[in-house]
Amino acid sequence: MTAAADTSALLRINDLHKGYGPNIRVLRGLDIEMKPGERVVVIGPSGGGKSTLLRVVMGLEQIQQGTVTFAGRPYISTDGRRTAIDPAVRRQIGMVFQHYTLFPHLSIMENLILAPRKVNGEARGAARDRGTKILERFGLAEKADAFPSQLSGGQKQRVAIARALMLDPKLMLFDEVTSALDPELVAEVEAVILQLAAQGMPMMMVTHDMWFARNVASRVIFCAGGVVVEDGPPEQVLGNPREARTREFIERVFHIKA
Amino acid sequence: MPMSLDFSVLLRFTDALALGLWTTLKLTVLCVLLGTSLGFVIGLARAGRNAVLRIVATAFVEFFRGTPVLIQLFWIFFCLPLVLGMELSNFVSAAIALTLYMGAITSETFRSSLRAVGAEQMDACIALGLPRRTQILNVILPQAVLRAAPTLLSNCISLFKESALVSAVGMADLMFVGQNISNNTARPVEVLTAVALVYFVIAFPLTRLVTLIERRMLKKLSA
Amino acid sequence: MDYTLDIGAVTRNMGPLWEGLAITLQLTLAANAIGITAGFGLALLVLSRFALLRLPAMLFVEFFRCTPAIVQIVWFFYCVPMLFNVFLDPVVMGILALGLNLTAFNAEAYRASIQAVPREHLDAGIALGLSPAQRVLNIVLPQALRASVPVLLTNGIGTFQQSALVAIVGVADLMYQGKTLATQTYRPIETFTIVALFYLAISFPVSQFVGWMERRRGVVR
Repeated sequence: MTAAADTSALLRINDLHKGYGPNIRVLRGLDIEMKPGERVVVIGPSGGGKSTLLRVVMGLEQIQQGTVTFAGRPYISTDGRRTAIDPAVRRQIGMVFQHYTLFPHLSIMENLILAPRKVNGEARGAARDRGTKILERFGLAEKADAFPSQLSGGQKQRVAIARALMLDPKLMLFDEVTSALDPELVAEVEAVILQLAAQGMPMMMVTHDMWFARNVASRVIFCAGGVVVEDGPPEQVLGNPREARTREFIERVFHIKA
Repeated sequence: MPMSLDFSVLLRFTDALALGLWTTLKLTVLCVLLGTSLGFVIGLARAGRNAVLRIVATAFVEFFRGTPVLIQLFWIFFCLPLVLGMELSNFVSAAIALTLYMGAITSETFRSSLRAVGAEQMDACIALGLPRRTQILNVILPQAVLRAAPTLLSNCISLFKESALVSAVGMADLMFVGQNISNNTARPVEVLTAVALVYFVIAFPLTRLVTLIERRMLKKLSA
Repeated sequence: MDYTLDIGAVTRNMGPLWEGLAITLQLTLAANAIGITAGFGLALLVLSRFALLRLPAMLFVEFFRCTPAIVQIVWFFYCVPMLFNVFLDPVVMGILALGLNLTAFNAEAYRASIQAVPREHLDAGIALGLSPAQRVLNIVLPQALRASVPVLLTNGIGTFQQSALVAIVGVADLMYQGKTLATQTYRPIETFTIVALFYLAISFPVSQFVGWMERRRGVVR
């Protein structure tokens, strides 16, 4: 690993192993390097480790082996028993979950400004201004004082994205963010993500929506059985896969011959 | 029916009954406030990291939930003065016993409502990098309290009903007054029915309120 | 504290306590027999489509749930003989009073577990062509009954503890014997503590069992 390679990678995952208990191995030696500005979509069968990968990158999980570095700085490492996660690095990464996970007892605006105020010490007024701007960008300005239970799934998910963006992350993680939505609400969320992509936000995403994956991805990783099976541009992995397993998966999902 | 009912006998005793009811209400409200606070502390101890605190708190709760309230009352009433070496008034003994009981049952409520706040809320806290203090004070605790609200009200209704037991140790609550009057007038049917109705008229609307609050709460937290 | 503990005062006189325990267990088991069976019947009435059946049943349930048990027991012991000119054995009266109380609470438990059977299961039964009776017997009842077992057990233990109240109306149960012994020996601390431990020794294992049962079924407590 040369110094030049170190600074050019945004996220570097080395030999990542993660399991639950003595018998269940979810990630078995994952190696992924993400360049700045890339939009990586991770696809694969259920249980293949995709969501776990995202959770590890967000610093939500313990790992058994491997290291993760972010923008050249050490981020996650382990001695086999305890996992060390650098909170300063973690703060630069944002994540949106499948089930929105907004704070139901706070209004939309309060959801947005809680972290900026408590983590960055931002003043309430300044945070509210930024919150209003972001809500306006997403077309949700009039919902600022509403509560999550009063919003539709698509609106909640967009608020969840806005909440993560308030902290100015350098990398966004999206974990099946449209899987729980009614079909007619999926488009509004995907539009927001495409907007972010157009503005150059690096992102790693797990999704079942292959058409969306094709639209947004600059790179697709097919992950099965806890390892990377295929890794390349969308035209290749989704259109003309090199690996038989990938081909099998794509054909099953698309019902066409790739 | 071999006898005739005469509810007018109650009119002579409305003052005494009202006084008894007042004592019942005073005792209930006091023990609700003290007991809920105690229950909160115990609930924290049970969910906390200190193993000694956890075991002591659990033993306390299991004892109060596994024994009749009557014996708890008798113990505090007859044994505590001996242990402390000082006399305790009726009211104080009753208040101590009912507060401890309320503490035990509300601690269970707090414990399960804390668990009910989903793990995903913690994920969101970590993903946003919220400091631990904020996680607990601004995210977990408010949701736990909201979730506990309907069950806490249920606990209050239970305490209100259990308060009738203090009549067994001679404290002049509604039940005690009612029993006295019923004995004096030899009209148990009218008097005891009236006493039962008073308890019912207070407890029943509260149970409807519990259902209402629960529905509202679930709706709000369903996000 | 100038009071020396003398457990011997109690252990030398365990005879009456065992007798009292026997009465308590009799009360508990008989009341549970009534409560478990009649409670189910009452639940069916509460769920009935006919207001004539449903409303009185609901009133019964609410009355027993919204009044103190001690009031119910005292009412039973003093008013029933007067009203109906019957004079029953005190233990039988105790069983009836506790049994009616438990019936109301169990009816609630049955009702909740019947209504908790997901609508989709019934729909599946209809789609499979099962008759209403078959749907009830094969889909609703098995699930509802299994789900209600933990609550029925918890209520049963509640009745076990509530049975102590019959001591107030003079039934010679464990509580009564304990109070008598405490007064006779002037040793309330030892006596009441031991009586409390008696109750705990039976309640605690059952509540632990209920907890284990619920964990096995995957219920989040």
